[in-house]
Amino acid sequence: MLFQVRPPAPKEADLTTVYDAIVVGSGAAGGMAAHILTSHGLNVLLLEAGRKLDIESELKSMEWPYDHPRRGEMPRDSHAITLNEYTVRQPPYAQGTEYKHVYSYVQGWGGSDYSKNIVVDEKDHPYTGTKYAWVRARLLGGKTAIWGRLALRLSDYDFKAKTHDGYGEDWPISYADIQPYYDKVDLYLGIGGHKENLPHLPDSLFQRTTRLNPSEVMLRQSLKKMNRVLTPYRAGVTTDGLKHNKYRSKCYGRGACGRRAGGCDIHAAFDSPTGLIYPAMDTGHLTLRTNSTAYEVTVDPATGKARGVAFVDSQSGQHYEAKGKAVVVAASTLESARLLLLSKSNAHPNGIGNSSGHVGHNFCEHVMGPSILGRVKDLVGKPRTLDDGRPGGFYIPRYRNLEERHPKFIRGYGFEGGGGTGMIPGRALSTPGFGADFKKTVRDEAGAFVHMGGFGEVLPRYESAVSIDPTVKDRWGIPVLKFDYAFGDNEKQMALDMAATGKEMFEAAGIEVLHADSDILTEGWSIHELGTARMGRDPKTSVLNQFQQSHDVKNLFVVDGSSHVSASCQNPTWTIMALAWRSCDHLADELGKGNL
Amino acid sequence: MKREDQAGLTRRDALKIAAGAALSVPVLFTRAMAAPAASAPAPRFFTREEFALLDELAETIIPADSHSPGARAAKVAAYIDGRLAEAYLPVEADVQQRWRDGLRRVDTLSQEMNGAAFLAASAEKRVAVLTRMAANEKEPKTPEEKFFRELKGTTVHGYYTSEIGIHQEMEYKGNTLQQEYAGEEPTD
Repeated sequence: MLFQVRPPAPKEADLTTVYDAIVVGSGAAGGMAAHILTSHGLNVLLLEAGRKLDIESELKSMEWPYDHPRRGEMPRDSHAITLNEYTVRQPPYAQGTEYKHVYSYVQGWGGSDYSKNIVVDEKDHPYTGTKYAWVRARLLGGKTAIWGRLALRLSDYDFKAKTHDGYGEDWPISYADIQPYYDKVDLYLGIGGHKENLPHLPDSLFQRTTRLNPSEVMLRQSLKKMNRVLTPYRAGVTTDGLKHNKYRSKCYGRGACGRRAGGCDIHAAFDSPTGLIYPAMDTGHLTLRTNSTAYEVTVDPATGKARGVAFVDSQSGQHYEAKGKAVVVAASTLESARLLLLSKSNAHPNGIGNSSGHVGHNFCEHVMGPSILGRVKDLVGKPRTLDDGRPGGFYIPRYRNLEERHPKFIRGYGFEGGGGTGMIPGRALSTPGFGADFKKTVRDEAGAFVHMGGFGEVLPRYESAVSIDPTVKDRWGIPVLKFDYAFGDNEKQMALDMAATGKEMFEAAGIEVLHADSDILTEGWSIHELGTARMGRDPKTSVLNQFQQSHDVKNLFVVDGSSHVSASCQNPTWTIMALAWRSCDHLADELGKGNL
Repeated sequence: MKREDQAGLTRRDALKIAAGAALSVPVLFTRAMAAPAASAPAPRFFTREEFALLDELAETIIPADSHSPGARAAKVAAYIDGRLAEAYLPVEADVQQRWRDGLRRVDTLSQEMNGAAFLAASAEKRVAVLTRMAANEKEPKTPEEKFFRELKGTTVHGYYTSEIGIHQEMEYKGNTLQQEYAGEEPTD
């Protein structure tokens, strides 16, 4: 039943030819761009900075902890940066360390020996400036190899947020523009979920939904009385299978999805290689070059248009330039900003596409930290159920600042959570005592816990920015990013409200609150960076138009999260892919008409 | 090619283990119970005396009961010994010394309280020693209290990630193919 289809054989990159398009980055955005452009018959070169990993053997999703010599933990010479280090220190976090390898905090989740080749070694990839937990995955597929899989749509509460509350800018599109593309993404990649008919969290075209366990049902029913919603986790996972994709299996609810930093070795959870890139390679139009770190979008001095991409082979250290009629940047929100800012020329002295001076600015994301832990008394001592045999638990959509206005903050937040136990009882260590009573308490209570944590919209501010550090370079000699970014008062007020309403919802449902945390985690913790090359109608205050096309350079597109005008509180991956699909349809059309 | 084959094997093995978990329980139990102490492999980090003390401490923290075997059968001491035998960087070298010191402190405390080393004391008196060490579990202050935290944390991790901990004690039902998701679908 569990089978894997081998990836298609790669074609050798031809650097003497002019490709129709060069795509930089192979995550959700770059994978979608490569897929859509090749589906239009265009010849595409896809450059990925990281390696191609044999992800099935890398993730070992079903390995039991006891079959691993260190129970899944990293070797002693490796270190995952802790919350405390992020809080008390400033980057570069690997500076002066004795450890051979230093990774971002995600590597510490459950002690993970399984994603060490997926997330970058901070020693090779430093950054500077204000504190920031920057999690980067450099490999074919980028962060889609380990993403949390929550796949949500945005609504006009997001796209028209300025109209709603006066802050920031509206997006140059409305929900009606993107809705057909959300539908395409749903049908092509698969998503499980339950229809709720909410205007602020539009439903997808769902496959089989995941289910709720007893504590979650209890909370859902109680929330209904408060006019709030708890819905099964909307998972970017094909729960019924996809007849058109031979590389992906349907979800078999094997569980343990949350045991490590994500990842699905049967590719039921969407990842860019099996969902988008391998099918694109099967068209014969896609050339993939991994280990290829782009450091400049090159420019034709005669026209000022993009000519191609300069990159360094991360293994050999050799430098190359690939040429294309169009360049599609999809290197991730922060890496894309870095690439644009590094691409200085006479025609574009501030970096390509940056006549507005807005590249790197209006940086936003999600604020995390407030979380609630509760215990359902009626479930203590009940026979063991399977609580983690699914891609996720539940989602509570935003309820703030929809109709009413909160006096202390604008925008909103949602909660992700789950009830019951996983493979390992997470509360064992915090259960006091020892001996037979301790053991019985751990066993009896394991299934009775329910927890959730908030994800709130961080406002985009011009002064929230990244820029190029004047002196520090990465392992390949490429100048690195310097952060100038911190949460503001709106985020702090919102976090206090998250903690308060989280507690209130548990109490209303009769769930005993064991712990309610209102502290904010370090900037960057959500891994949802957005907004450093925003779209807009005005070329003076935005970088891209509604098709993620540079206002300044018409054959340059930036199709990842950097284009987002505001962060919403809903997770961005599905929107990134819907927008990239829409923009690449437009790109192919314009290229065909000779307009680029 | 080779790596893929290995991955395939691991996956099949994992499935087999999951499917056969219930069946393998009595076998494991017998094997663990029957293993004579003398034939146990020599510890890699601890001395035999330290190892015996650690083994007893772990079993006192998570004992066998009518539901499942405890830390001894789950070989928690061997897991801790193996982790401590790994090559430590200088920055973490004090971890190894901390464990040696910690075990010594247990015996010293037992001498003070019971007039006998931990292993020589009665079961009741051993519990009394650990109860003293566990007094300030949330905010341990003395070296003994701090060692208890570390000992309990590592024992808990070693036990609940073991075959016995996962399959027998916690009766984990996942990591195997499911035709349907567990739980309830919202009806409205």
